[in-house]
Amino acid sequence: MRDWRGIGFQVLFLFPAVAFLAVFMYYPIEETFRLSLTRSTGLGDEAYVGLQNYARLIRDAEFRAGLVNVLAWAFWSVMIQIPYSFFVAYSLCLYRNRFTAPLRAIFFLANVLPSAITAMLGSFMFAPRYGVIATLAARLKWTWLQRIDFLGDPDLAFWSVFAVATWAYTGFGIVYLMANIEQIPREIQEAAEIDGANRWQYAWHVVIPMLSYPLRILAILSTVGSLKLFDLPYLLTRGGPGYATTTLGIILYQQGFTNWQYGRAAAIGVVIFLLSLVFTVAQFSIQRKEGELR
Amino acid sequence: MRKAPVVIVTAVLAVLALGVVLPLFLPLFFVFKTRLEFAYDPWGLPQAIRWENFAGAWEAIRIGQGLLNTLYVSLGAIACTVPPAAMAGYVFARYRSKVTEFVFYAVLAGYFVPVLMVLIPLYRLSSKLGLTNTLPGLFLPMAAFGIPFWTIIYRSFFRSLPEELAEAARIDGAGHAATFFLVMLPLAKPATFLAALLCFIGAWSDYLLSLIMLNDQNLFTMQLRVAQFLNNYGTSNMPRYAAGVVISAAPTLLLYILGHRWILKGTLAGALKG
Repeated sequence: MRDWRGIGFQVLFLFPAVAFLAVFMYYPIEETFRLSLTRSTGLGDEAYVGLQNYARLIRDAEFRAGLVNVLAWAFWSVMIQIPYSFFVAYSLCLYRNRFTAPLRAIFFLANVLPSAITAMLGSFMFAPRYGVIATLAARLKWTWLQRIDFLGDPDLAFWSVFAVATWAYTGFGIVYLMANIEQIPREIQEAAEIDGANRWQYAWHVVIPMLSYPLRILAILSTVGSLKLFDLPYLLTRGGPGYATTTLGIILYQQGFTNWQYGRAAAIGVVIFLLSLVFTVAQFSIQRKEGELR
Repeated sequence: MRKAPVVIVTAVLAVLALGVVLPLFLPLFFVFKTRLEFAYDPWGLPQAIRWENFAGAWEAIRIGQGLLNTLYVSLGAIACTVPPAAMAGYVFARYRSKVTEFVFYAVLAGYFVPVLMVLIPLYRLSSKLGLTNTLPGLFLPMAAFGIPFWTIIYRSFFRSLPEELAEAARIDGAGHAATFFLVMLPLAKPATFLAALLCFIGAWSDYLLSLIMLNDQNLFTMQLRVAQFLNNYGTSNMPRYAAGVVISAAPTLLLYILGHRWILKGTLAGALKG
């Protein structure tokens, strides 16, 4: 005999979650794919145009600039932010004392600030003439520094936004790596010490290889996060000057909500989704292959 | 172990940590000054403690209204995210079958979908449902995008509880729902607390959804008002701008100072399991 009560209970309890997802996630995903194949402006009829939106994106200089920017952003987050996070996390764990113990909470602090406030702080630091750096430079009479327009110079803007993001988001990596380092059994460190390894040799030869999985996870999160980049560059520079700091997210937003080109915006959404999928799957399959070898 | 490297590393860490908090303290140099005072001596001590800049910043973007709107959205997000996630997580943990596993993977997949991807259809759907330009229009989609993560957390939490507890309740004559509400849910308090706290912070911080959904100035959330301040009032009146920075960062900082232990724990709960 079937337990109809149990089944009824399961259906009832799964219903709210499934309903939320069906309405606000699965249906919009299906619509994103459908819209990306149409010419749709919100007014009048939608016309099926095949892959035209995608073909157009490839030819579009702004889209290419946005794609290059987010890939460069992903590359530099992995190359700069992750080693930096590791350095801080490892030092906080191995040089634990009265002074360093409370720092963990401080390093994570910027992570919880809403991006609008982070952006506000960024322009507080970088604003020409009135910003912190400019007024400090004026006080020190460093005119060369005073003249730099951090967010308005096309060669510098990317790095200024990147610096703000590094300030804001590395806290997560630090806390995450710390938690993983703390899980390494103490005996391993003691064994390394007996073998005569100093703390940085221990880091390089023992800790980093042991943390290959969490480091990879961080790399995936940084990469996928870069593909979704919107808030900070949009708030700080609107993607400018020119296309210097534009991202796929900013182009999607502008195509959708400024130009009312729903079809093209949806196509960008699909590109973001597929790229995230490719990066995630690629990383996990490397992981699995290594697991099999061991 | 030698002493010197310890001192050097500690000093380096302290300097880096200072770099994190400095942008939050520097506004205090500017906020109490008039524009004239700021122009002559931006880094000196203020001649008097003046609150005009705070009042100016508060009124310019009507922060009081923004706080109320954001509070409403954050509470709505908690109410719509946590109960569905707890219920689904419980079923996935305790009623494992081919069907529930399949549904679980369908929910899990949602964890990887960025809001950005579905922005256009989400907006069109919301306008069909009459949700654009309303605050529920923010927290309903937020809930949908938060449920997968918290379902995963609840599932692993309920799996970690001993099977005998539910057995015992059943023997005492409790039905499926009673077992959940009277036995399991009270035990899941730590998970529920974390879920509520992090949902709150997530909703509180949102910018993108607010940006596309809201047009009416009265409904603007805190973050939209901060962005408005950034764009419209700008850095040319630096003392008032600095006051804006202080006022808008204060609620989040306060929340963090009170709850950083839990916030760190919750963030890691997700990260270490994922």
